Amino acid sequence: MEEKDLSHPRIGVFICHCGINIGAYVNVPDLVEYAKQLPNVVHAERNLFTCSEEGISAIKRGTKEYNLNRVLVASCTPRTHEPLFRAACEEVGLNKYLFEFVNIRDQCSWVHMREPQKATEKAKDLIRMGVAKARLLQPLEEIEMEVDPSALVIGGGIVGMEAALNLANQGFNIHLVEKEPELGGTLRSINKLFPINQEAVKLIKPLVEQIKSHPKIKTHLSSRVSQVTGFIGNFNINLDGKGKAEQFTVGTIIVAVGAEPLKPTGQYGYGKMNNVLTQLELEERMKKGKSLGQNVIMINCVGARVPERTYCSRICCMTAIKNAFLIKESNPKAKVWILHRDLMTYGVDFETYYRKAMELGVRFIRYSLERPPEIIGDEKVENIKVYHELWRKEIELPCDMLVLTTPLIPAEDNQNISKMLKVSLDEFGFLLEAHLKLRPVEFAMDGIYICGSARWPTDVTEGVSQAYAAAAKAAGPLRMGYVKAEAINAVVNEDECSGCGICELLCSFQAIELQPRDNKRVSHINEAVCKGCGTCGAACPSGAISMHHFTDEQIIAQVEALFS
Amino acid sequence: MNNSVLVIGGGIAGIQASLDLANMGFKVYLVEKSPSIGGRMAQLDKTFPTNDCAMCILAPKMIEANSHPNIELLTYSEVEKVSGGIGKFKVKVKKKASFVDWSKCTGCSECAKVCPVELNSEFDENLGRRKAIYIPFPQAIPNKYTIDKRGYPPCRFVCPAGVNAQGYVALISQGKFKEALEVIRRTMPFAGVCGRVCTHPCEKDCERGQFDEPVAIRSLKRFAADYELRVGRENAVPVEKTKEGKVAIIGSGPAGLACAYDLIREGYAVTVFEALPQAGGLLRYGIPEYRLPKEIVDADVSYIQELGVEIKVNTPVKDLGEVFNQGYKAIFLGVGCQESMKLGIPNEETKGVIYALDFLRRANSGVKIELGNQVAVIGGGSVAIDCARVALRLGSKEVHLVCLESRDLTSKDRMLAQDSEIKEAEEEGLIIHTSLGPKRILTENGKVAGLETRVCTSVRDEQGRFAPRFAEGTAATIEADTIIVATGQRPAKVVFKEIEKSPSQTIKVDPITLCTNIEGVFAGGDVVSGPADVIAAITAGKEAAISIDCYLRGIDMKKGRPDTVTRVEEVSKAGVRPKARHSMPTLELGKRKRFGEVELGFDEEMAVEEAKRCLNCAVCSECRGCEKVCEANAIVYTMHDESVELNVGAIIIASGLGLYDIASLTEYGYKRIKNVITAMEFERLTAASGPTMGELRRSSDGRIPENVAFIQCVGSRDFRNKAYCSSVCCMHATKEAMLAFEHHPGTKSTIFYMDMRAVGKRFQEYIARAKNEYNVTCIRGRPGRIEVNPENDNPIIWYEETITGEVKSFEAELVVLAQAMVPQITKELADILGIELDEDGFVKAPDKLLQPLDTTRPGIFACGYVHSPRDIPDSVTQASGAAGRTAEAIAGGK
Repeated sequence: MEEKDLSHPRIGVFICHCGINIGAYVNVPDLVEYAKQLPNVVHAERNLFTCSEEGISAIKRGTKEYNLNRVLVASCTPRTHEPLFRAACEEVGLNKYLFEFVNIRDQCSWVHMREPQKATEKAKDLIRMGVAKARLLQPLEEIEMEVDPSALVIGGGIVGMEAALNLANQGFNIHLVEKEPELGGTLRSINKLFPINQEAVKLIKPLVEQIKSHPKIKTHLSSRVSQVTGFIGNFNINLDGKGKAEQFTVGTIIVAVGAEPLKPTGQYGYGKMNNVLTQLELEERMKKGKSLGQNVIMINCVGARVPERTYCSRICCMTAIKNAFLIKESNPKAKVWILHRDLMTYGVDFETYYRKAMELGVRFIRYSLERPPEIIGDEKVENIKVYHELWRKEIELPCDMLVLTTPLIPAEDNQNISKMLKVSLDEFGFLLEAHLKLRPVEFAMDGIYICGSARWPTDVTEGVSQAYAAAAKAAGPLRMGYVKAEAINAVVNEDECSGCGICELLCSFQAIELQPRDNKRVSHINEAVCKGCGTCGAACPSGAISMHHFTDEQIIAQVEALFS
Repeated sequence: MNNSVLVIGGGIAGIQASLDLANMGFKVYLVEKSPSIGGRMAQLDKTFPTNDCAMCILAPKMIEANSHPNIELLTYSEVEKVSGGIGKFKVKVKKKASFVDWSKCTGCSECAKVCPVELNSEFDENLGRRKAIYIPFPQAIPNKYTIDKRGYPPCRFVCPAGVNAQGYVALISQGKFKEALEVIRRTMPFAGVCGRVCTHPCEKDCERGQFDEPVAIRSLKRFAADYELRVGRENAVPVEKTKEGKVAIIGSGPAGLACAYDLIREGYAVTVFEALPQAGGLLRYGIPEYRLPKEIVDADVSYIQELGVEIKVNTPVKDLGEVFNQGYKAIFLGVGCQESMKLGIPNEETKGVIYALDFLRRANSGVKIELGNQVAVIGGGSVAIDCARVALRLGSKEVHLVCLESRDLTSKDRMLAQDSEIKEAEEEGLIIHTSLGPKRILTENGKVAGLETRVCTSVRDEQGRFAPRFAEGTAATIEADTIIVATGQRPAKVVFKEIEKSPSQTIKVDPITLCTNIEGVFAGGDVVSGPADVIAAITAGKEAAISIDCYLRGIDMKKGRPDTVTRVEEVSKAGVRPKARHSMPTLELGKRKRFGEVELGFDEEMAVEEAKRCLNCAVCSECRGCEKVCEANAIVYTMHDESVELNVGAIIIASGLGLYDIASLTEYGYKRIKNVITAMEFERLTAASGPTMGELRRSSDGRIPENVAFIQCVGSRDFRNKAYCSSVCCMHATKEAMLAFEHHPGTKSTIFYMDMRAVGKRFQEYIARAKNEYNVTCIRGRPGRIEVNPENDNPIIWYEETITGEVKSFEAELVVLAQAMVPQITKELADILGIELDEDGFVKAPDKLLQPLDTTRPGIFACGYVHSPRDIPDSVTQASGAAGRTAEAIAGGK
């Protein structure tokens, strides 16, 4: 397509009646006449609906007929309609950034319905400002960057393995990195899994085999990621494993490093009394078939939902119920009590499981944080004293074994991961997703995704679902083969830059880095990563950063037009 | 493997799954059954635990889905059939008719502004109203209007002529009286006439009648006509003659004129031949003035003439050949019944016996009639009542009516006259003798002296045919010096010898096309059916017009008829408040001496009030107001449902959640107790775009509640209802308690709960914040019942506090119930998809641990609430997960 001559702005103005949404309150014919006499406007017309087929053809026809090199539409809102008008421009060979939107409906006719005269005047102001900016618009290009069709999965637990398999089965080369010498993660120490009481080992074994034999998966055991540079599409990975370093490139990264169970620090005699263990230790005993005694008492929320650790770790109620269930199942004569606070058996399966446990004879006693259970005994816990809320009295229960249900806590590795990948941690130390509700498996950084208990405690079902979710996100760029960078981004005038580093500090996307240049350090913006939010531009004390499509010149022109 | 994917359900899960797939390069068809995507999340005000405005974070996703090149939205659509298997599913999707051309609709909303039909908005949980043409909410995607049409309303369905009663009633309710008349005239020209004398089958079937009393439809029609008479109208614009072939109509009664009216509007030249000096037939010469004034007939007839129908009066037609010779290509015979039936009893020829038609014709023509002081009218139909009331007006001292039928209007042997006219006649002094048949006319000096009767034991047989049976012997004798025989009429014997007739002298026609035995000659109305009512005659005229149009254009007359219509199935009467029907004001008895009209008609206020009683059974009233204002010409009334075939490699079910019907939990008084609402209703009340613009007010007195109670697990964790935990309600209630406080700082909230389930990131902290900063108290206990404080309509909650064991009461100003939630998928849809559901109706996964998002059919995946009770972040995660599984399943080996 032939290049448009942009040096002499030839602006076309298309003003929409929006039926009567604008037309009834704003004098549109008047606006057209007004627009016609604005500098550089070579054509102005009005449309009943500029967004209709007729309106779109009018834009295209006008652009050709009057050889327009800037197009301005004054109508509803860019929120819904800018892409449509931009596309119309592109169809007739006009770069879409040479299009300017003026909102005269949502921000004018709708809010000034009772003052049509003033609404018309305001619409003129807005159009005049729009034209002033349009005059200075420049074409922009979205850079396409190639994506290496491979991914790195950090963490070889069930979640990491599922994510790796999903992507590998889609045909991408996967590097699966596990710090331990074996795959399987936490599940290796677990006995059985709720809600179907499946043996954990039996669950992971076939998966490990699939991973090992998968032609697309390269497993790095006893290895840690030591350095990550680059950005989406081309991350350079340095691996530190078994004394030898490795290097490779991947397009995207999935973090699935899991979490760790809290070791109690002296609560309820843990570490001092020999019959006090954690649920995980209980599972190990059960796996080995060791005896547990006749009277088993479990205390939930040990170290969770307390002032020093306020959160609920989501999976522990079910863990306790599962273990109680299994004890009763193998030894119906055993007595099992679960001392709990709120029972988190949400959903269908957990609630059913809870009910079944009750039917099997597991006893549930509710305690409150204000009156926690007390242990009685010297060498070992002999009895547990607990205030039974429903009976409204204190009771004593015989205890052969006391099991403490502790929460999952963030893995130690999270700190490293956070620094290395430039992703944030939340206030608990778990990895912080991009948006709690709508982007739960993404990081703010493009190309890096999160799943499993590293983000928040999850059971297997949820963790596996998250693995697929992260895989879907990671597969997007891999499948497309390219990513597009935002064209409306920030640019640095290095001569003006004083290297103060404020921009680097403020950038939420880690797109800015100070780099040495000619004896000084200047701000460098990675345009592949920049989202064009404008924060740096606004903050730069030397005015060295400007935003494409919202340049100082353009904005000042608008302001000047307003007051002219 | 086909690289396309079908996603069912346009809520946040469906949108997210679609976006992820589209971003991976798959072509996605997103099918949503309502007109907009957005789902439940769009209904929420804010979302926990961040208190983000739901719409603010959802709308960008909706827009992205709408503009993504790889996503095709199929809203207002449903999956009908699925065949094939993974990699090669064939899916049939029904695109329901929106009656709006979405390629033209710009969402400008002008149509909704003029739409006269309002109904409860589903989106606003029935707390707000929407129009019959609507977008579900302002941010709807696509921003295109849909007309909610549910078939023909009963009134229109049972009207033989198909007059759009709901349409004009709706317009009258909005004060659009002229437009209302236009709607009537779209079907037939006799608004003034039918507004007075129609037998109004519409009212008998009116759904409002099942609630309290039927809408006074006929009176409203009359009102529309009267309104025009009062304010005057411009002459109608003559219709351009666009079609070949002149049509002759013989007879200017309702059948003939209705036929002429439809044909002239089709573009034919039409001439009506009338033997009498004025047009109107029985309307003019049969129905007395106190019921149907002449100026009303004149008004309706002149409208027809203005359109271009030529009426030749004093022009009897004897020979049809002659008519054809004049260049007419088709003839319609609507000559009616001109001959009164004889009684066939002794002394019928005596002086003093007169026949109804003759009597009425003379009375209506102003010819002086000598009547005695004591008149006996024989007959139980409208004509008999008319004769009796005319006789009363002509000065007869005593008028008796003798009929075979019963006065009980619900009996099969009921009098055929209308209830209102019988009542009015009785008020005027008519003495009615029912269940009596004439046996002999008594004479004295060659003149009538009375009527001897016999007891009629049954009038009609089981099939409703006229087959009177009498008791032996003689019953009462009624003294009379004049007897008016009003027992029916039939067509004159002599007319049109070449036309084939039945023994009862009616013309034989094809029942559908109304063709007679002679090509090009059609017949209808009383001359075919025998005496019937006006609307039946109009219907016949209209049907004949269709046939004549087909005939002249050379189209098959049977195939060329309009499609059959379906009657609306179910009409909700929820929330309707009783309101009595307006009775018709009538002339005071003392003033009914002459022929002034007895029924006076509604005034504007009465008409509007009465019209507002209409339930708008069909929702869209087809008033066509939207069509007039749509500048984009996007309204398409003739649109039909459409089927599209899709080929896809995989399917994702994301049909979301439904709200469990908590009617069975009577102890909480939902819908019975005013200030008890559901959590979803609360959500709409706090939403800025909701029906109250975000004002949280209670329904009993409109006050802002300062003391709100939330009851959890209403239907959840409850064996009588849903045994499972709905998963989101604890957090939902906590959020709403915060919102109550934010809307009205200081508001105290109390949450009655079983276990406070707050397992997500920042959920515990959220609850702590609610307690510490938002005046929220949590009480562990499951309330047993709710009573009402009669003084202030405050609900009183009775509960046992499980922690202390005390039974206590708690008075709140507003109670919010955490209604259980259910998976939104029907057994039918599951069967269509070939997947299994669990006992609770959630989609079953084959392996809960390793294939949690698969279904029992390979290639079909599920996510969101339909899969398991989930909050938004978990649903979104599952949605992406299902997209990931789909990619793996159908694009493996790439």
